[in-house]
Amino acid sequence: MIGRLVWRLLPAAPALVVLAAWFVYWTIVQPPPSVIPSIPDVVRTGIELAIGGRLLGDIVSSMGRLLGGVAVGVATGLIAGFIAGLCRPIATFLNPLVVFFNAISGIVWLPLVIGWLGIGHALATFLIWNTVFFIVFQNTVLGIQLVPEVLEHGVRALGGGRWETIRSVTLPGALPYILSGVRSGLGFGWRALIAAELVGATTGLGQLIFSGSEYHRADIIIFGALLIGAIAMVMDRWLLAPIERRTVVRWGLVATSRGR
Amino acid sequence: MSADKIVVSGFRHFFQSDSGPVQATGQIDLTIREGEVVTLVGPSGCGKTTLLKAIAGFIAPTEGEIRCDGRLVRAPGRDRGVVFQELAILPWRTVRRNIAHGLEIARVAKAERDKTVERLIGLMGLVGFEDRYPHELSGGMRQRVAVARTWAADPDVILMDEPFAAVDAMTRLTLQEELGRLCATTRKTVFFITHSVEEAVFLGDRVLVMTRRPGTIKATLDVPRHGKGGRDWDSFTGDPEMRAISEQVMHLVHAERV
Repeated sequence: MIGRLVWRLLPAAPALVVLAAWFVYWTIVQPPPSVIPSIPDVVRTGIELAIGGRLLGDIVSSMGRLLGGVAVGVATGLIAGFIAGLCRPIATFLNPLVVFFNAISGIVWLPLVIGWLGIGHALATFLIWNTVFFIVFQNTVLGIQLVPEVLEHGVRALGGGRWETIRSVTLPGALPYILSGVRSGLGFGWRALIAAELVGATTGLGQLIFSGSEYHRADIIIFGALLIGAIAMVMDRWLLAPIERRTVVRWGLVATSRGR
Repeated sequence: MSADKIVVSGFRHFFQSDSGPVQATGQIDLTIREGEVVTLVGPSGCGKTTLLKAIAGFIAPTEGEIRCDGRLVRAPGRDRGVVFQELAILPWRTVRRNIAHGLEIARVAKAERDKTVERLIGLMGLVGFEDRYPHELSGGMRQRVAVARTWAADPDVILMDEPFAAVDAMTRLTLQEELGRLCATTRKTVFFITHSVEEAVFLGDRVLVMTRRPGTIKATLDVPRHGKGGRDWDSFTGDPEMRAISEQVMHLVHAERV
């Protein structure tokens, strides 16, 4: 009973460790608030932003951009990944392009893309897509390649055609890698989103942080960072983890915890 | 005499490798009659799996042809079920849905599908495990699911490639008896590959012995069947006739040691 409680609270422990270290450091060193703010300062700033009404709007617009960009990135990455994973000539054709463009950060494209798309939703979507697509694509291709051939043979020997093997073997078989790609994609999507919002938006958590840096408000920057990390954690726990529990974990393809 | 079910004529197979073609089998001619259980023993690497995969339609023979019911084999089909050496049941389907898969593909009505699946679950001793996933079962149980899945699709011919090689010795004895019973009650044409002499004699109506690579069939021995139904290990081991056949096969196989 107590063991289970400890186990459930364990994920919160690192946060407590960091907070404690922060508190101790700040109490001993007493740095200027523009270098490292105190915990109460950050909390106060957070409450002020929340009451001021700006915060909710920023969160909503950031989440909207993120989910839009990630959705486009995951969808295109999955489709292209499946085509490349199932068809060798297309994979051979696409691979150099993927390696080439994957190396080029969204920031490089930014000046050009602002000219093409203007500043707005399309810009943010493009920048997020530019990171998410490659991660999902490469994970999907790998996942498809790693599905044991014998499973496919088994279904073909039962009379299954190409479509049946894709539906009942390739798709579920590649799912652990696909989900891993989506998980990394969501994380890198956040990074791209903040970069996009610094230049190409008037609202959003990126803008909040940017305005904080203009006025040397370390408390706003740290609060923004905490918020982004917290939202990412909540999304992982409430969006991805339940999907994993019902699929790849249920099927015994991945273990929830090894060596417990 | 029953009709010829599988006819392999002038079969030879080569694999392409970086250093040119590698001969996998010598020339093989083989006829399996309807309702017959033919077992094949041979040293590892002799090409027995290659032959089975060719009959299943997964590889096209380099030379010769394979016919099933007189029709040329070009691709896998539901008339030829396969139980693989590596486990081929799907980890994301429950026992019930794995067994039902072939019937789903054939678009058999749900009521009839359920009936067939229920019957095989009973026959293979899987009652109580219907809604488990493969990773929750023991190795022997999983192999039972693999056998049931192939039987459920009701193919004319069943090809089995060392299906019990990976299970423990005790479970293997049970599975062999169960398979013998299943073969006897369903009257399927079965082609069974193994490297175990005892298994080959125990299950077969006819035992084929292969030479080492590139393998050809060097001997055929008939195993008489006394009474109906499958054999059981107790009477099998006590039967001098069976022991004599086993010994004979053992000598033939030993001569091929590599």
